This record gives sequence, structure tokens and C-alpha cells, in this order.
Amino acid sequence: MPELPLDGIRVLDSTYVFALPYTGGHLADLGAEVIKIEGPTRPDLTRNGGLFGSFPENEQGGDWWNRSSTYNLLNRGKESLVLDLSTERGRELFKELVSISDVVMENFTPRVMRGWNLDYPNLKKIKPDIILISNTGYGHGDGPYSSYPAQATTQEGTHGHCWVTGYAGEEPAKAGRSFVDFLSTWTGIFAIGAALRYRSLTGKGQWIDIAMYQAGAMFLSEYVMDAIANEREGERIGNRHPHRIPQGCYPAAGVDQWITLSVGSDEEWIGLCGLIGEPDLTRDPRFGDIIARFKNHDALDDLIRKWTNKFDKYELMHMLQDKGIPAGPVLTGQEVHFDEHYQSRNFLERVTYPDDRNMGTRLLMGRPYKYSNTPLKIRKPAPSFGAENEYLLKDLLGLSVDDYDKLIEQATISSVPLSGDPAPRIDPRQSVEEGLLGHWDPDYRDHLGIS
Amino acid sequence: MLTGALSGVKVLDLSEDIAGSFCARLLADYGADVLKIEPVGGAALRTMGPFAQDDPHTEKSLFFLVLNLNKKASTLNLNVELGREILKQLVAKVDVVVESYRPGYLSSLGLGYAELSAVNPSIIMTSITPFGQDGPYSQFRGEEIVNYAMSMIMSISGIQGREPLKHGGFQAQYEGGLFAAGATSMALFRQGLDGSGDHIDVSITECVASTMMATQTIYPFMGGVQTRRRSEGSMFENPMPCKDGWIISQAGGGATWEDISEVFRAPDLLEPRFANSAQRSLNGSEMDQIILDAIKDRSKWDLFGEAAKARMLFGLVQTPKELAQCPQLESREFYRETDHPVLGKIRVPAELFKFSETPYQLRMSAPTLGQNNNEIYVDGLGYTPQEAIQLRQLDII
Repeated sequence: MPELPLDGIRVLDSTYVFALPYTGGHLADLGAEVIKIEGPTRPDLTRNGGLFGSFPENEQGGDWWNRSSTYNLLNRGKESLVLDLSTERGRELFKELVSISDVVMENFTPRVMRGWNLDYPNLKKIKPDIILISNTGYGHGDGPYSSYPAQATTQEGTHGHCWVTGYAGEEPAKAGRSFVDFLSTWTGIFAIGAALRYRSLTGKGQWIDIAMYQAGAMFLSEYVMDAIANEREGERIGNRHPHRIPQGCYPAAGVDQWITLSVGSDEEWIGLCGLIGEPDLTRDPRFGDIIARFKNHDALDDLIRKWTNKFDKYELMHMLQDKGIPAGPVLTGQEVHFDEHYQSRNFLERVTYPDDRNMGTRLLMGRPYKYSNTPLKIRKPAPSFGAENEYLLKDLLGLSVDDYDKLIEQATISSVPLSGDPAPRIDPRQSVEEGLLGHWDPDYRDHLGIS
Repeated sequence: MLTGALSGVKVLDLSEDIAGSFCARLLADYGADVLKIEPVGGAALRTMGPFAQDDPHTEKSLFFLVLNLNKKASTLNLNVELGREILKQLVAKVDVVVESYRPGYLSSLGLGYAELSAVNPSIIMTSITPFGQDGPYSQFRGEEIVNYAMSMIMSISGIQGREPLKHGGFQAQYEGGLFAAGATSMALFRQGLDGSGDHIDVSITECVASTMMATQTIYPFMGGVQTRRRSEGSMFENPMPCKDGWIISQAGGGATWEDISEVFRAPDLLEPRFANSAQRSLNGSEMDQIILDAIKDRSKWDLFGEAAKARMLFGLVQTPKELAQCPQLESREFYRETDHPVLGKIRVPAELFKFSETPYQLRMSAPTLGQNNNEIYVDGLGYTPQEAIQLRQLDII
């Protein structure tokens, strides 16, 4: 098997929550040695479960901090070092690691790394060609919001996405969860790849400064251009399209089952009319041409709904796609595990944990891209808290047994979190009752073949 | 002296859509020389609004403008043999091809990865499609809403009892472009080291799906299936109306629950029924009402400033006009001015992120149709001006 693109690259990943930790997970898939660094009293929030994922079988277990689903997805393939960077000794050891690393990742608020003398100018003194990547809510620099705390959940409003998202004509809304985090994840991957290439040609490092806010705004470029050029404010059109018609999300047979479709050309329109079984539709003056159809979108939606709710959503997908009409069912987090296309592309990878982790086998998402000549996979499970403390400090940095034990004594390093609590456990039946979960499948392990 | 991190990288952008154009633009933004190859009639994106002054003119699509900054462009008809030959001559001289045609289309023209890598073994071909190059749905037609539906995100977006909802705009297409740029830059790093090429298969549906970290994992971890938010009792963490717009707040971060109740001036939030996140979701309706009452006469900007002082996680719903005038984006040099041959001087969203050593440069505006034909075909490939005219007459360029 050919070498992986990032074989031999060492990454210090001092990042928390979703955005850059996921970058680190992807770098590990690509072959890098990624060392996740957390403080003894600052375990990653994704370890807590609750909103941040779930525990196996909803059981916190003896070591809850190693068990949340989201932590395990985002941090696959990494090593774990638990080191207190707020102490002088912790920073000394960090600097020693910097001197033998290629990339440093951090997502503290802008003042933190400066305060620790670990900002780019200082890291460069330790390792002249170091690549530093910083991700913050609003970016470094002297802008009015640069020091504001931020997380994707609230930024979705500030960077404009909520304004253009929502049911047609109704109030602003969100879609998905923590959307903008992943724009930083991939901006990071792009930037690191480019920086590594630049370094290999010039011997120079880089500081990469990402602002989630800015990435979010970039994804609304056409709305911003419409505001700049035409003074237009944009509007919420729900599931409709600015120029394709009809487009929407319609009920299929069954409870909470949905099909989406989007019709553009006349050919697609005639195909849809044929499927609905009312060829007269093509002669109905309300829908005679695209302009008429836009005026009567509501009436058209009613007709489509009456047709779609008679059929299974997958059946609808095939019927519509056979006519060349873009269409697909709304898939849940359960259904993707059983969808033939997802299965065929091996998007969900089976990750088996060592017995002492007591986590069994789980399915985790791999990558949304494939290299034809270099197959990638999740190389190993996310590490337990501080799993590589000894290896990294004793074997790699050469600390003596005494020094190492002293670090434990002083709580500069640790293999259990010294603060933090797991999210309160809610019985899935109650979660369903309260509308916090759509439903619960008690036999999921049998269905997935992981029991 | 390399002025961009990707200086020296040569790219052909065959894409006509949002995702491919955005991917190639990011490569161009950070230094690559990108040539967009369009059909003789122009890329499909040129017909997509919004348009400057609402004039649906080939050179006035603002969408095309913003996704094709920093590129050159030439036209080429791939439906004729000579056009295909010319493309191969160009491929021999570049490092990357970005394309977003239906899987199999370029192969049917003799221009698939197998044929192009025979011409140039180091070539990286980045293919961005709705469902990827293989698998039972690979020939299916995709659209933004379909990518959204099949990626899990719609199943949790919107309100229970109503239809699932997509994001506004074309978030899936932008994601496809950005994620593809990420996979491409990693392949470029390796190509720079050992000259190896690769065919990169990016599925837009999988790009969006890959972001659904809690939604996917909760099933194999505990059998849970997430859904849309409740119609009542889930406004916290979602837009809440105040006097002049909407705000969004979140617990956690540097602010205690006491700090939050102070920013809202709502002491009732300190009651035990709101003491932790589980309690707050169970008593969401009451909590929402307390906050809605407390903010109904307050301005979003005042709240935004006060919340920041309290280290609270807080956002407000900004409009596109507000974004266009945002002082924070200004300080980050997000906007730059470009001088376009038809549109004149106009501000554009430009810089995605900052590199310290190779700063972003807006080197060129978006190209007009066939703008660089002579440079590419006469100066580059050595056709005589007379031959270039013949190519034009044969509808090849």
C-alpha cells in the first residue's frame, strides 16, 4: 500500500469541541501523528455526552470521559496527552514537543496563546518552520468583536445564515447543528495542506488565522453581493429554489416520512406531470409556463402532496430519478446506516475498541472524499484520556521516572479529568416522550450487527 | 520567491457549477494559476442570479463573479475531437483538474481520469458530484435540497409536525467546494513531494453528512434517532425576537447561569426548575416565555454588547446588508474591491482566512467569457492567430 499523504507529519492538537478537533481527526486519517492535548482540569466538552453525543448504551460507565460518541468520532486516530499549559512546566514540555512537531493547532480566545508566550512569533523561535493554525469565533486582530466569546450555535445568527433560513415568509431559523464549525474544520484542512506544500518548497512555516464568522459569511456570498449591488436584503423561501419550480419537501407514505424533489426544465416538468398521472396538468393554465408555476407554487405543492403521500419515500425517489428529476428522501441518522448507497461507498466505518475500553464495535463516519490511489480509513479509535502521557513524555521527550511522577503529583499531567461532569442521563423513552428524540430503537446493535 | 502558498500550482477548472467553481477559486485565492474552461456558450453559473442591476446578462451574474475571482478563462468545445485534443494538451501542462460533471461523462468523451493520467501521470483530478463517482445513486440527479435531505441534516432541521427544512442558499454546494479544496490541497502536498497523482472523488451529500456528528453517532451508540426541534419550549439556542430583530443565546462558555439571567434582567431564570441543561430542556416553554418577555423592548445590538462583557455565548441575526457593512469583517479585510470589465468597481467577499507569510491577494477579477483565449491558445499552445480564428469559426473556442 502506498504511503499516506501525511506520513511522518506530527501535529500538536490543542483544540477543543468540534471545529479543529475534527480537522485533527481527518489529519490522522491522512496519516499524521496527531497528539490531542487537554488540560487536567479542562477535558474536552465533547466528552460530557448529552448535547455533545451519547454514551454507549446510554451508560456513563466507569470512565465516562472516554465514551461519548461525538468525542470518539472527532478524535479518531489521535494520541492523548493531558498536560496543564497554564503552568510554567507544562508550557516547557509543550515547547519541547513543538520543537519536534510540524503543525500546532489551537482554538483559544486570541489573548490566551499570547499570554502564554506561545503565539506564532514565539513558536517560530522554537521551531522556525512551524505551522500554527488558530481558529476563533471572530478572528485575531483588532476588530470590534475579536475578543467576543463565540460558538457555532450562536454564530449561525451573527454570520447571517438564520436570516436566509426558515419556513417561507416566517421567522429566521437554524438548520442542522453547529454548522459553521465544519466550515472551519475544512478551511483548516485546506490551509494546512497548502502550508505544508509551501513549507516543503521554501522551508518556511505559516500562521493560519481562521475566523468562523468570516467562513460563515463567505457561504452567503451571493446574498451579500445582492445587498452590495442591488440593495436587496434576501428573504426566507423555505425549501423552494430561486429559479427551479416546483421544489420542496413533501410527505411520503408513513409517519414523518418525506421526499424532496426539484424540477427545472420543461422535460422534468412533463415527467413529473406524467408521474402524478394528470397529463392535464401540462395544459392547466395555472402551470402553463415557469412564470405561471411560480405564481401558483402553493397550488402545485398541494397537488404534489396528494400524489407523494401515497408512496414510500424510496419508491418516490426511484420513480422521480427514472424521469431524470432530482429527488431524494429525507434520511435520518438511523436510516443512513441501512441505505444501499451509503453502504456501497463504505461511508460508515466499523471501529472496534480494545477490550479494556469496553465500547465494543461502533460505526463512525469516515470521509466525504476518496483518493483513488490511496485508500484511507479510520486508523484507530479515539484515545482514552492521557493514554499516551507516558509514551510522549518518557519515550519521546526522555523524562526520567522521577520527573514524570512529580508531574503526576503536581497534577501537571493526569490520566483522569480533575474536573467536569457527565451530562445528566435521560432515559431514551423519556427523551422520546418529551420530543427530545424522534424515536428509539432498542435493538440497534442487532440491526447493525455489532452486538 | 513564492507569493502565495499555492504559487506555481496550475489548475484547469472545468466546472460550471457552484461547488467546482468555489473549489477552484480557493486554490486561485491562495496562489494557484487557475484557468476556467467554459463551453463556447459559457458556464451554466453565468445564467444564475443574482445579477447586477437585475440584468440577466452573461457578464453580470454576481454568483459567477464571486466564485470565479482570481481566475483566467477560455472557451473550449469538448464535443468535437479537436476540442478534446486541445484539452489534453492543456492537461499535460497542469497539476490539477477540477470538474463536476455527472460521473462517467468525461470518460465517455475520452477525458476521464484514466485518459488524463495517461497524458500526465502526476495529474490530480478532483471530481465533485452530488453522490460520488460510484455506488447505486452515482447516476442520480442531485440538487441542493436533495443533498440536504439525504445527508441527515433535514431530518433535524425545522419544527416537529411540519416538513423538514433546508438551510437558505446553497450551503451544500459551498461545502462540496471547500471540502474538495481540502482534499485537493493534501494531494498537492504529496504531489509536490513525490509527483504522484490521484483521482479525488468528492460526494456533496457525504460532505454535508460528515458534519452530522451527533445525529449519526447517537444511533450506533444508543439507538437514538434525532429529530426536529419541538414546536414549543426550544427557542433558547434558536432565534428569539427582541425589539429590533432576533438574538440567539447559549448557556456555557465563560458566563454562569447567574450572569445570563443578569444580562437578560430576568431573575426568574434562577429558579431551581432551570438549574441545569436537562431541567432547562424539560421546562423549556416556561424558560422561553421568561426570556421573550425580558427582551421584547431591548435592542439586539445592546444585548450583543452586554452579553460579550459577561463572556456569554451570544449572537444576533444579521441581514446581508448588515454583513456587507460589518466592521468586524472590515477589520479582517474580508471584503476587497475588484474592477470588472463590465461591472466596474465592486466590493466582493474575498478572503476566507489569513496566512501570515503569503497574504491573500485579489489579483484578478472574474474573467469575461473567453477573455484569455488568445493568451491560452496562441501564446500558450502555439496556434497562429489565423488558426485561432479558424477554431472560433468551427465553434471550438
